[in-house]
Amino acid sequence: MPQDFLIIGGGVVGMAVAYGLARRGRSVTVLDGHDDSLRASRGNAGLVWVQGKGLAMPRYAELSLHSSMAWPEFAEELTKRTGIDLEYEHCGGVDLCFDAKEAQARQTEYRALYAATPSLTAVRWEYLDREALREQLPGLGERVHGGTFSPHDGQCNPLYLLRALYAACLTLGVDYHPATPVTGIEASTTGFTAHSPQGSFSAERVILAAGLGARTLAPPLGLSGQVHPVRGQVLVTERFPPSGRLPTPQLRQTASGGYLIGDVLEDAGYDTGVTLETIHRLGQRAVQIYPELAQARLVRSWGALRVMTPDGSPLYEASRSCPGAYNLSCHSGITLAAFHARELAEAIDTDRLATIHGDFSGARFDVQATG
Amino acid sequence: MSDASTHHADVAIIGAGPAGMAAASRLAEAGQVPVVFDLAPSPGGQIYRQLTAPQLGEDVMGRDYLRGRRLLERFERARIDYRPGSRVWWAKREGQGTTLGVLADRRSESWQVRRLIIASGAMERGWPFPGWQLPGVMQAGAGQILLKQGALIPDVPPVLAGTGPLLYLLAWQYLRAGCPPRLILDAAPRSRYATMLRRPLSTWHGRHYLLKGLGMLTTLRRAGVKVVHGIEGLRAEGNPHLQAVHYRRAGRWQSVDASMLLTHFGVVPEPQLSRGLGLPFDWHPSQQAFVPHREEASLAAAPGIWLTGDGAGIGGALNAEREGHLAALSILAAKGEPVENERTPLVQARRRELSARALLEALFRVPDGWLAAQPETTLVCRCEAVSLGELDAAMAQGAAGPGQLKAFTRCGMGPCQGRLCGESVTRLLAGHLGTTMNAAGYYQVRPPLHSITLGELADSAAPPAP
Amino acid sequence: MFKRLDNAAPAAMVTIWLEGQPHSVPATLSAAAAVLWLVGATGYRDHAAGGHRAPLCMMGVCHDCLITIDGQPNRQGCLVPVAEGMRLERQRRPA
Repeated sequence: MPQDFLIIGGGVVGMAVAYGLARRGRSVTVLDGHDDSLRASRGNAGLVWVQGKGLAMPRYAELSLHSSMAWPEFAEELTKRTGIDLEYEHCGGVDLCFDAKEAQARQTEYRALYAATPSLTAVRWEYLDREALREQLPGLGERVHGGTFSPHDGQCNPLYLLRALYAACLTLGVDYHPATPVTGIEASTTGFTAHSPQGSFSAERVILAAGLGARTLAPPLGLSGQVHPVRGQVLVTERFPPSGRLPTPQLRQTASGGYLIGDVLEDAGYDTGVTLETIHRLGQRAVQIYPELAQARLVRSWGALRVMTPDGSPLYEASRSCPGAYNLSCHSGITLAAFHARELAEAIDTDRLATIHGDFSGARFDVQATG
Repeated sequence: MSDASTHHADVAIIGAGPAGMAAASRLAEAGQVPVVFDLAPSPGGQIYRQLTAPQLGEDVMGRDYLRGRRLLERFERARIDYRPGSRVWWAKREGQGTTLGVLADRRSESWQVRRLIIASGAMERGWPFPGWQLPGVMQAGAGQILLKQGALIPDVPPVLAGTGPLLYLLAWQYLRAGCPPRLILDAAPRSRYATMLRRPLSTWHGRHYLLKGLGMLTTLRRAGVKVVHGIEGLRAEGNPHLQAVHYRRAGRWQSVDASMLLTHFGVVPEPQLSRGLGLPFDWHPSQQAFVPHREEASLAAAPGIWLTGDGAGIGGALNAEREGHLAALSILAAKGEPVENERTPLVQARRRELSARALLEALFRVPDGWLAAQPETTLVCRCEAVSLGELDAAMAQGAAGPGQLKAFTRCGMGPCQGRLCGESVTRLLAGHLGTTMNAAGYYQVRPPLHSITLGELADSAAPPAP
Repeated sequence: MFKRLDNAAPAAMVTIWLEGQPHSVPATLSAAAAVLWLVGATGYRDHAAGGHRAPLCMMGVCHDCLITIDGQPNRQGCLVPVAEGMRLERQRRPA
């Protein structure tokens, strides 16, 4: 009996969809890369974030809001199934501004975005100056001007989310193959066959959740695969007692107590390294945000590549030339995990991806190119 | 962000143990002025620690310790830019050399070095058993460091356990210091000593080590120190401090009251610097350790990088000294100096010395099945308190590599940065996946290679923009 | 736990403060060695996961020697030599 689905990629996008499909009773095989493959899922900050997402595409903003509202139930369900605590907190969050100009620009952007569609008017946010923020962010340094607070934002442990998805998939019978890098996919009359040095795997339908791997795997299946790497660098400090400070994209305290410092966007090709210049700058900014962190010891640092589409919004596409082939590319796999595991999996399963989420297809890039 | 904030060196040496001191001294004698970064406040490395002002004489420490004096004096005489108390927390191969981030006196400076000799030494193998995190349990090397640093000995007879020459050396030194160990628990079965007879050539080359070892063992036995061979299991117990050591022999557990347990399960190359530089490693089945690749003749691991001493594979202090010397000669040869006559006897002596290693490695082999046989509550990662059982569960849930296992469990995410659990994690994965140590892989090592605070990082001289 | 051998070479002594109490210790010791010599391994450090920890390796590897030195938390005690007037505090988990 052939499998219903092949999923290429065992990151947080692939595993969320695998979980969603398996939950709906589908048989799923996941083919994953090597342990040291490019893995955005293990390199991100763990924000379940709404504010500021979708500035270029209000539909994406709606999706982020929608997914964030589904997160509490999603997290609870995964914990119930696996016993793994995702360290999820729907606590609200603050995006910091360092000067008046940045604060002005931010507010102008938000005002426009959160009036763009009727459902986005439900997004609550406010700009708070440094003094007002000190309630949520005690110890905030003098160099911070203020920040935008939104109650929709939150945080989780992205690594435990990934682990819980693995554990849940395992109990639902998902067939997972690590270290099985797919070199090519063939379409046939009965479905699809993925080839790897470890052998060939077949299923009726195939979903690419291969991150930057979509660049080579997607086009032969009539999918756009338009993604490019954008590097981030992250620092983590030793543990501290819980501070109760709200998360910010620049810096947040994790449930285990370490501060996670990041929020840089770099064009560095496929180099996942860290650079002295950037971590120096991250160190400086962390100390500006919370001066007391000057004494905090750096324990780890890493670089990872975001999977970025031309407009930064998710790419969900169903192939026209090879029906049954789909490509999912997005750099917001944590926030959107709840959506991916439910509605997106359902839309794919019922083959209504193009109907329901057509505006997220690769066609939008062609329009921009010609327009 | 001017270039003025970056220091430049033609040759930098990391580590001032026998390899680093020998390399630096030889280069200095040829008119070079190498910069030497070392963690410790005084030169000598672990083996010759505190030898600049020894706390104890040959009667307690033995001859091998005092032997380092000549090298030390040579190092102190030479014109070297020696920087003690320096932590190389950043290292990256860039362009025509290596960029280093060096923290000293709470300030980080960046260095651009053309040629780098890594002589950063070995560490004691992290070897989990129940209770190894209890106060009162230390590695034998720690006991020896206290002896060298301050003539400190246990105030009650300790239990020593494990395998390897250091175990007996420390026991002998404690005996000489008037504090004979209460008990030595040797993980090697007594029958292993018959291995000697099957390797006559190796035995001949290693006769000095063997005779020395045999002499120590005889002295210890005569003094009434009990040695139990063939220990299959070890457990430390007590709260809040070690109170009892349990050991299994011939399938039976026995116990002894103890407030101090010193363990030794061999030494392995300290991997952070070489791995952080992205140098390839291979599992060495005889050393039972990951060892970096290097060219046998030149000791070069990459253009402009030489690996010397125990950090490149365990060969002991004399070998380390020769390797440091050889690396210096490689550099001098590249500068056009005639070194062949000096090189040849060194290479030959080194080859003779190393031919004895296989025997020592076989004699003091650690039991490969040890980890898998530990109870599931045994901590593998001490820093993050991750147990064997948690790692087993994560592997069963699909963690198929060291990176994924770390992500799923926090194993290796703590301040020691995986130094103590790295080998264990690879062993577990190799067992779980039914694959080799090489195929199972190792953590990806990234900066900081040593701890640095955000304040030190922020205050450091700004590195040049790329 | 540890005692200094009577026949040790004479060492210069420095005064350090451990939890506010002055102690004279040989200048050759690291901060961690000084604590082990003065008060032993028991209670050296509280660990986040519960229980106590004490130095394992004394050579910069294990990080179980972390201690507050001159007000700076989490310094590797085994790598820092004692100095005249140095203040040491063993680290306790917040209650």
